[in-house]
Amino acid sequence: MIKKASNKYLYLLALVPFLVVALLYEILPLATVIYKSFLPDTGGAFTLENYQTIASKLLYRKAIMNSLKISLTSAFVGIVIAFFGARAAHERPGKMNRAFTAVLNMVSNFAGIPLAFAYMILLGNTGLMVNIGKELGISALANYELYTMNGMSLIYIYFQIPLSTLLLIPAFDGVHKQWKEACTLLGGTPGVFWRKIAIPVLMPSILATFSVLFANALAAYATIYALMMDNVALLPVQIAGCFTGEVRIRAGLGGALSVVMMVLMLLMILLTNAISRRFQKGGARR
Amino acid sequence: MKEKRAAPLAVMLLVMIYLLIPLAVSIVYSLFRKWTGVLPEGFRLDNYIALFTDGEFLASVGRSIAMCIVPIAATIVIVLLALFVTTIYFPKLEKYVQIICMIPYTIQGVILSVSILSLYVGSPTFLSNRLLMLMGAYCVVILPYIYQGIRNGMRAVHMPTLIEAAEMLGASKLYAFFRVVVPNILSAIIISSLLAVGIIFGDYVLIRNLAGTSAPNMQIYLYQTMKHDSTMASAVFVIIMLTTFIITLLVLLLQNKDTKRRQQQVKE
Repeated sequence: MIKKASNKYLYLLALVPFLVVALLYEILPLATVIYKSFLPDTGGAFTLENYQTIASKLLYRKAIMNSLKISLTSAFVGIVIAFFGARAAHERPGKMNRAFTAVLNMVSNFAGIPLAFAYMILLGNTGLMVNIGKELGISALANYELYTMNGMSLIYIYFQIPLSTLLLIPAFDGVHKQWKEACTLLGGTPGVFWRKIAIPVLMPSILATFSVLFANALAAYATIYALMMDNVALLPVQIAGCFTGEVRIRAGLGGALSVVMMVLMLLMILLTNAISRRFQKGGARR
Repeated sequence: MKEKRAAPLAVMLLVMIYLLIPLAVSIVYSLFRKWTGVLPEGFRLDNYIALFTDGEFLASVGRSIAMCIVPIAATIVIVLLALFVTTIYFPKLEKYVQIICMIPYTIQGVILSVSILSLYVGSPTFLSNRLLMLMGAYCVVILPYIYQGIRNGMRAVHMPTLIEAAEMLGASKLYAFFRVVVPNILSAIIISSLLAVGIIFGDYVLIRNLAGTSAPNMQIYLYQTMKHDSTMASAVFVIIMLTTFIITLLVLLLQNKDTKRRQQQVKE
């Protein structure tokens, strides 16, 4: 009996490689970043200096606001398009549906530098669409400014669409055809069905997807870096700048900015969870 | 009624067109000499020929591949070992393994790379080796995908029953796990490895922040090329996208085959 028990604990050794990797490259680095965010970069003891710098310097305040704005807008537009896309896929199984999911899957890996490059060719200063717009006199295309916050939001929306649609498609399996029939029998129009039945049922999935999209946009870095280098007030760009810039490494400030970003993601998860619980409760109350 | 049925088709078509335009344009762009007006002029394959005779490009392809193999193999092994111990001997610990595996979902990219960098960059030990930092970071980034793949695979084959059956036939738990369970979830492992290949292939953030330009992969090569020669860069772009598409296609095919096989098994 005793031998058996000790044997069992011997197996814990197999956990060691996993723990070593997780500790060295996930837990310790994160813990140090948080810890260093409370140390001044000039040396010294515990301080909130870095957080004060973020709160007082216009650049960092702007970076947070810009990041929030572009993440919220792109997540919102992404979820709306995903809703209609997933609904269409749900209503129409068949060849087109298969092509649709195949395209979504393929494009879901289309991000980072290649995406930035494609948009530079399309909508950059001498981009194809810009030239076509000039020749045909479409001013919205001819004067498109890719290298601005608004111009870049189109790229954000682009990479949100495949992710959000792929996440929402399975959720629509939960909307049963019989409910629609029942609703019609009781005199409900399709509009009533979607507003009162389908969307509330889908709401938890929609909210969860929204928070994934938000985090996805908040952390997006490669695409933006390829377009703007370090010259843009966005959180991930400023964070990377603190560690890899030509000037000295500011681990404290960069750490504090990273903590801000993680807190924003966490708040969004908590917020969407709280709202989603209300919808689930509403469903349970009969 | 007919109009109503057409609407979903139109929506799917529109989204597909929107998603495919940037790809299509870049492909055409790489095949022509000039595209400043509405239509491209001067078809040619020079870009591709130049690319495939460029040693630096071929080296970057090789690096991209090599950088996939090591972290993926390592992650599969450590996750298998960890799940073997936790699912069979210490089910209570499973929750913690899961949490560790899921954290990278949210902290991937910039935060992960700068945290690893700031922790080890001044270290006097072997940990300050940039390539090692990169490999470690890749292991962590793909952890959620490998974990989920293996975990789902285990659930699908009803692992406890499988191990019990093997034990009744006289096998040890260790043998049962690695010789019975693992071969049965091989397709799940392959699918999640391919997803991980896609992620590492598409990585720019980690390699730029951790390894700098000392070991350029295909993404860094694309970034450097697009600064001075956009038609050449478009050819690099097409090759990168083709590789990722082939990987996704493989994943989809394998997943379909897997579910079909499962359905057949259920029917039998």
